[in-house]
Amino acid sequence: MFSPDPKIKKKDLFDHYFDSLNKEILLRIVDKCYYPATKIILEKLDEGFSCSFSMSGILLEQLEKWSKDTLSLFEEVARHKNTELIGQTYYHSIASCFPDKSEFMEQVKLHSDLMHDQFRVRPTIFENTEFTFNNEVAATIRDMDFTGIFTEGVDRILGWRSPNYIYTCQDIPVLLRNTKLSDDIAFRFANPAWDRYPLTADTYAHWVASSSGDIINIFLDYETFGEHFWQETGIFDFLRALPDELSKRDVASVLPSQVVSQYSPVGEIDVHETISWADLEKDTSAWMGNDRQRTAFHAVQSAQTYAVDKPLWRYLQTSDHFYYMASKYGTCGEVHTYFSHHDEADDAFKTYMRVLADFESRNIRAMKNRKAAKTLRTLSPEQAFHFACPTGFIGHTAYNLDQFEELLYFVPQDSLNYHQERGDFARWITDVLEDPQLAESINGLTERHDLTNVIKERRELLWSHLK
Amino acid sequence: MESLKIAFFCWESMYAERVGGLARAATHLAETLVDQGHEVHFFTRGNIPDQTIKGVNYHYCQPSGNNIVEYCDSMSASMVDQFRRYDTPHRFDFLHFHDWHPVQALHYLQDRNTILSFHSTEYGRNGNQFGDWWEFKEISGKEWYGGLIAKRVTAVSATLKKEVMQLYNVPDEKCDVVPNGVVPREFRVAINPGEVKKSYNIHPYAPLILFIGRLVYQKGPDLLIEAIRKVCRHRWDAQVVVAGGGDMRQFLQERAKDLPVNFVGYISDSEYVRLLNAADIVVIPSRNEPFGLVLLEAWSAEKGVVASNVGGLSENIDAFENGIKVDVNPESLAWGITMMMDEPENAGAMGKRGRTKVDRLFLWNPIVRGLTETYARTVA
Repeated sequence: MFSPDPKIKKKDLFDHYFDSLNKEILLRIVDKCYYPATKIILEKLDEGFSCSFSMSGILLEQLEKWSKDTLSLFEEVARHKNTELIGQTYYHSIASCFPDKSEFMEQVKLHSDLMHDQFRVRPTIFENTEFTFNNEVAATIRDMDFTGIFTEGVDRILGWRSPNYIYTCQDIPVLLRNTKLSDDIAFRFANPAWDRYPLTADTYAHWVASSSGDIINIFLDYETFGEHFWQETGIFDFLRALPDELSKRDVASVLPSQVVSQYSPVGEIDVHETISWADLEKDTSAWMGNDRQRTAFHAVQSAQTYAVDKPLWRYLQTSDHFYYMASKYGTCGEVHTYFSHHDEADDAFKTYMRVLADFESRNIRAMKNRKAAKTLRTLSPEQAFHFACPTGFIGHTAYNLDQFEELLYFVPQDSLNYHQERGDFARWITDVLEDPQLAESINGLTERHDLTNVIKERRELLWSHLK
Repeated sequence: MESLKIAFFCWESMYAERVGGLARAATHLAETLVDQGHEVHFFTRGNIPDQTIKGVNYHYCQPSGNNIVEYCDSMSASMVDQFRRYDTPHRFDFLHFHDWHPVQALHYLQDRNTILSFHSTEYGRNGNQFGDWWEFKEISGKEWYGGLIAKRVTAVSATLKKEVMQLYNVPDEKCDVVPNGVVPREFRVAINPGEVKKSYNIHPYAPLILFIGRLVYQKGPDLLIEAIRKVCRHRWDAQVVVAGGGDMRQFLQERAKDLPVNFVGYISDSEYVRLLNAADIVVIPSRNEPFGLVLLEAWSAEKGVVASNVGGLSENIDAFENGIKVDVNPESLAWGITMMMDEPENAGAMGKRGRTKVDRLFLWNPIVRGLTETYARTVA
């Protein structure tokens, strides 16, 4: 639960905004997964097995702060000749979804620099947050001189084609995750209801060996080993046995950069809609599936203007914040609840908006046009405008002037009339947004399009002051 | 497709004279066409100066007449006058007429690229029966004539298309299905169901069944009441809200005296959104439904739907995937409601999948892309 505290100094803001639970969770995962799994993998690397790793900047920061031993273990892995580091955004963020790609590129570059500083290597293959991918992402990454990019082997994109080959998208080679074989480990491994339970390394290696195609990309959450599936499930034995079982069947383990140089693409994929590896939908609905998430996404995007402190703003773009706000049913819903430490998605959303509102209002002081910044800022749930009718709240909430205009296009007419009769709009605009001039000019307007026209004009003028 | 200049002829629109669901559908079609880069002039009724809203140019007229048919002919004549004024210097590419009201205008302009959209038929509005009074015959006649002279015809569902083909001998290859759309954000809101239920004196945890619609025979509210009698034998906690007014209200209230049914009468749009989001199950027991817009609204709000297996409902619901389809009788309806109520998790999942279907098929953007294909076929 976050509540703003003006006494907090700027240098302490990070701890004020982000839960101390982070440390506790990190240490739990270090203990259950990072440490034991990496030990096993190091052993296997020495024996000739190869695999690649992708680590966000946030993870390395947390390890640096709370678990230096693990960091040096990862360092050992990263510098091993049989591994490769994959590029991603420093903040594991949703920045690639912004229409303007410059922030995304900046974060990719930050990550690349970090890999270089920490491990002395620059990634040449890229994977976007949760495999979020479309033509634009591919083109952006191509222009940043990566030689290949990972994404999910989504059926509706591939059609009859197999994920076990290299394709190109916007002239960059694409490596597709083999969804079925990856999820056999990631989701089904310890599921007693699965007809192939218990899965052994022997069986699994057989499946891989009997698959057709050039390459099979198995890409897993690292936490699969020890955290999603605890040690008791036998997941570590599986991990330890798999490399040998694979080589027994002449399956070679190859690094992604070798793959793109050894195999030629067999075709092109064209991805207009955004895909990802999340849930069954394989799209962005895990982060932008509901209105809460979309509200938060637009708000963090417009917070760029207020972001005097870029790192703090970027921490707020991490995809997990949005994941916690998801509302889904079925098995995916269970996954979401398991991974979220918030009791309610709504709670997660409100906390996020409070933090964002506090972040913006602190930065206003340092901005040139404070008046415009004040009127356009994102608000906390307590300050936001809640649309109602005589019997109560009708479920629409405006967290800033942009969203207020957007909602005015479709909030039921009877609610508009109700608020205008009571003078609620004018009062909110005067008291919270501190723009008496705008309040004056909407006074008495009852036609929806008159209201939206006036607000649109004012909003655009104010934004032009901030650019 | 290159940018088209399109004229809409419709007797109602969202920002002036508004009668029913047609205003919403026609206005959204027009606005989405503009979004997709086309120019739209919307000829309609209204006692206000012409205006441009969201890029759509509205031209208003004030018809008069001694009866509905004369009134609509007068409206058509004014629309055509207005139309001619905007037909220069660039001529309109397509003329799109909605329902029977502007068919007289279609008659004057029949040499152009014309499209007539059926949102319903007089036969359907009359409860799937023929009438013997003169308005019925006159209006049906206009529907037949419009279907005959228009270059292309659209209907909101395959069911309505079949009806139009059978009633008015419109050939299959001339008629396309262009469904109704919905703006899901209007109906899915963040609201606490318990709080809304309490405002109706319903316990926050009691399962709430919602009926919305006119209380007329076609909509089957009587089937619902009889079904609830059966449901209550199994579930003492069920609560029903019946929203909407109509001829049958008195009769229904009498029948439901000893049942947990709340008749709340006509409600505002805001109140509808509140109730829709508070409901656990939405029931659509219609005897006939050319499309069934409530289905899209319930799906938008991610609600489990129990609906009659008729018309557009039958077409659009995938049984047990995104809703439960039942026969048109109280026994079957009671079975469906009980089934949905006993597995709330499953009801939620079905509602969610309904929403997915809405996002795939019933947003205005893809629908309007389909509509422009119909336009293209008009000249092919």
